[in-house]
Amino acid sequence: MKTFLLRVEPLIWLLFGQGILIGTMLLTGWVLVVGILAPLGFFPNGMDYTRALDVASNPVSRLVLFALIALPLWKGAHHLRSLSIDLGGADRDTTVATTLYALAVVGTILAAIAVVRL
Amino acid sequence: MARPAHPHAMQPSRPGSTRTAPPQMPPRYPMGGRYRNYTLFDATGLVYLLVGFVALRIVWALGSGREAWQSMLNQLENPLYIAFHVLAFVSVVFVAVRFFSLFPKAQPPRIGPAKPPPAPVITAMLYGVWFGITAVMTFVLIGGNL
Repeated sequence: MKTFLLRVEPLIWLLFGQGILIGTMLLTGWVLVVGILAPLGFFPNGMDYTRALDVASNPVSRLVLFALIALPLWKGAHHLRSLSIDLGGADRDTTVATTLYALAVVGTILAAIAVVRL
Repeated sequence: MARPAHPHAMQPSRPGSTRTAPPQMPPRYPMGGRYRNYTLFDATGLVYLLVGFVALRIVWALGSGREAWQSMLNQLENPLYIAFHVLAFVSVVFVAVRFFSLFPKAQPPRIGPAKPPPAPVITAMLYGVWFGITAVMTFVLIGGNL
């Protein structure tokens, strides 16, 4: 598994880097509106089911939503792995990395399904 | 927190001619001095991982019908969810500010014949794109039509 992780490291770094760059750019507005403002009662029209589904089912929106879900998962997984190593977990790195990346893979697959079924 | 670091952390590609001591973690790591921001930057990974899965739940609920969507919106009104998203917002802004300051320093001196623009220009472009995307996302999510 360690050899496999080293082999796919360029791909993981690509997804991690895009998770920081694109993920952060997409998450800012999402977290602000969907996570904070809408639950506090601001802009109720934006969260109306018919409108939300209409906007989200647009092909560009599906792509944005997929990136918004999947890329932060890879950023999160890789940074948590890095933190684990720095805090003295080098010996358990293979297990930690495998678990975190598996979570990211599962999340990415589910994200693809989620946007397809919109 | 001085302790042995990972034995291969700073291993050169071939043995050097001078014997060196085993690597040690910096004594101020993880929360002392400039290591605090480094550690916090890594720790935002947990927030990003959770935000990704919460976003997955939200989009999944939208695709599951009106009742599931309304139930999801009701859950998001829970103070714990709101507090988490406030933490997530702070984390996202922290990551953006830190990463945008690091990004120009990580550019190669040149790629073939092309040189990257000066660091302030790269930083300005990153902030411009970030603000632009955030403005568009916010506008659409609050109910605006493009």
